Amino acid sequence: MAVIEIKNVNVTYRVLMNKSGSLKELFRDALKGNARIVNYVALQDISFNVDKGEVVAILGRNGAGKSTLLKVLAGVLPPTKGTSKVDGKIAPMIELGAGFHPEMTGAENVLFYSALMGRDVKRVKERTPAIGEWAGVTDHMNFPLRTFSSGMVARLAFATATDEQAEVLLVDEVLSVGDADFQAKSRERMNTLISSGAAVVLVSHDMNAVRTLATRVVWLENGHVKMIGNPAEVVAAYEAN
Amino acid sequence: MKYAQLIRLLVGRELTLRYKRSVIGIGWTLLNPMLTSFVLWVVFSFVFASKLPGTQQYAPYLMAGILLNSFFSQGVTLSAESIANNGPVLTKIYVPPQVFPISTAMAGLVNFFIGMIPLGVVCLISGQNIAWTMPLVLIVGVCLALLTAGIGLTLSILYIRFDDSRNIVNVMLMILMYFTPVFYPISILSERLQKIIVLNPLTSYLDVFRWAFSNNAVVTLSDWIYMISTSLISIGIGTFVFKRYWPRTVAML
Repeated sequence: MAVIEIKNVNVTYRVLMNKSGSLKELFRDALKGNARIVNYVALQDISFNVDKGEVVAILGRNGAGKSTLLKVLAGVLPPTKGTSKVDGKIAPMIELGAGFHPEMTGAENVLFYSALMGRDVKRVKERTPAIGEWAGVTDHMNFPLRTFSSGMVARLAFATATDEQAEVLLVDEVLSVGDADFQAKSRERMNTLISSGAAVVLVSHDMNAVRTLATRVVWLENGHVKMIGNPAEVVAAYEAN
Repeated sequence: MKYAQLIRLLVGRELTLRYKRSVIGIGWTLLNPMLTSFVLWVVFSFVFASKLPGTQQYAPYLMAGILLNSFFSQGVTLSAESIANNGPVLTKIYVPPQVFPISTAMAGLVNFFIGMIPLGVVCLISGQNIAWTMPLVLIVGVCLALLTAGIGLTLSILYIRFDDSRNIVNVMLMILMYFTPVFYPISILSERLQKIIVLNPLTSYLDVFRWAFSNNAVVTLSDWIYMISTSLISIGIGTFVFKRYWPRTVAML
């Protein structure tokens, strides 16, 4: 059963050529008659499905449209054309810790971040000590986040984001954070999540990770699907390119 | 509603965070309108106090104006900024973006009600009783929250697209304050100016608020109608504009 179903997805950004970021400039350009709008095509005619238990890796150079595709899947960027359908709870592992606030305590941030991801506040409250312990910041949970080291923040974000199993997992290069010990621990947890039967879309530049984890690979180039197929073949072609 | 829990957290955060690092914390919410009103009262009471009709008192008149005006202008700027400020979240996790301006407007509403405590004290000191119509301020608050949320939603799109729009909005809000009888009685103006001031919806909100709280103004049915209809129109336009332009705007965050 397809959990993720995207059909003929196009995303076009409208870019003002003169980069009018202010009303003043827009007004000036309009007077001169040179406020040209250029359409920048970020994704063109992308279609694929992801079934339950499948791990689809997205390959491509910078600017190929990988992040845009993840945004479409996460539901934050509506496609200009085409449809994107995702069934079930999404766990977006994209730049973890979005929404963390430096003035709120560790525990408050865990709660707030979880609520943003649509989790039940009451259950998260019960889980908070366990999350803090797993991240190794138990002693700091009641202090403002600004007193945390950046490694501690990253660990807490990872622990919170991965605390609950979701039906759909969108992963953007967050396979490991923190020091060597925590990296091993987080990599292990990530692998468990990925192989636990969720539908996974994974963006990575780490070909070894792609080869071992993915069941299918999509290669994007300039917003097109260049190749789609089994990991060994596509990775080999991508590396030869 | 699925996002009710999130809105509750957001409102709580909005209320506590602004003054988090100060010693008296949320106490500033009480102190802020009191201090502003006190300063203006010292300056203007000699000029305007005698111009108020009948038994109306200047201190509660002024403070009600400050309270309502700061709810409005802070609500508009904060809710318009809330979308841009939460850009990092909105480009990664799906949350209906409207929850941010709505929570901001609701937090403003709570602050508005907290601010009525010192207003009540000022009323009693100046020898004016709180009127039996007091519960009606609830309607004023809700209408004002709808008005600010609607304007905030529209402006939030503008804020993301054009960096300098917030400066223009700030100037406009200041001009609007002078076109609202916040610290002067409307009767001191020429008849033609009065007509313009009456067109400003905030004048109706303010008159209804002053009347309901301590019978400190004269209101007509048309004030009520104007207040309720502008709040509904504002939230209607706001949601429409936001829905229409959000898909393109989110790409700019």
